[in-house]
Amino acid sequence: MSPNRRVVIVPCSGIGKTFGTVSREAAYTVVEDLRPDTAELVALSLLVLGDEEARAAVAEHPTITIDGCRLACATKMVQESGFTVARSFTVLDAFRKHRDLKPEGISSLNPEGQKLARVLAEEVAEAVDELAKVYPDNGGSDADSA
Amino acid sequence: MEFLELTVDKFTFRFATDRYYHPDGVWALPEEDNRVRIGLSDFAQQSNGDVAFAEVKPVGTTVAFGEEVASIETIKANVFVPTPVSGTVVEVNQALEVRPELINEDPYGEGWLAVIAASDWEADRARLLDAQAYLERVREIAEEEMKKR
Repeated sequence: MSPNRRVVIVPCSGIGKTFGTVSREAAYTVVEDLRPDTAELVALSLLVLGDEEARAAVAEHPTITIDGCRLACATKMVQESGFTVARSFTVLDAFRKHRDLKPEGISSLNPEGQKLARVLAEEVAEAVDELAKVYPDNGGSDADSA
Repeated sequence: MEFLELTVDKFTFRFATDRYYHPDGVWALPEEDNRVRIGLSDFAQQSNGDVAFAEVKPVGTTVAFGEEVASIETIKANVFVPTPVSGTVVEVNQALEVRPELINEDPYGEGWLAVIAASDWEADRARLLDAQAYLERVREIAEEEMKKR
């Protein structure tokens, strides 16, 4: 992880699920567009496999999970890997707040789904800002810059 | 509360034995004073996915057997919920307005939909399935779905 990136985001890895796609789109939007200097993605699969860099990133930085549905696989797997989830979001909750944005599609989302991902990403970005203030000095794991 | 269970592939469905079932997955539990509580079966909630919104017809609405008594929007589908009993809606589960996920979490308990003052419960009951018969129907549906995969 870059020294400046102080918050980790772990999205749902549900394949073939519309809400999983929204969670990943939201995560990409945060790390590539909204908070590229602060937030970093960690793949849930790497974490579950025990990848050292992934584990170090989650261990040393506040972690936000974005789940697609109430199974909450991302949140549960971070916790079952022995780590703490600082904030958790679900696409289902975001949809409940924005009923007009019904997502459809899997490989590519409909316009409503893209808007929902953007709305969710903006909420997550605010959480990134809050956590970055709370944990201002934890950016030194350097896990992906070796 | 006692249950029958059916496991198909990785899914296990429960069927409360103290109530009757509309073939489309709505249970009916007779209570005192000719009132019948209704809700979605475990199979119906699992096959339709996480509930995002649940809208039940308001108190005072008259419904006939099989007519829509609620509409449920899940992450997969918009679900038409037929009433398993004719009569008048006398109570609606207000908790669903803020926690529609109760339908998923506790379909036979806190996730109930409405209470209906039945107009002819004996006639309606004759059209419903008991838990064992509904389990067999679900088995047929689930096995058909498995063949399509």
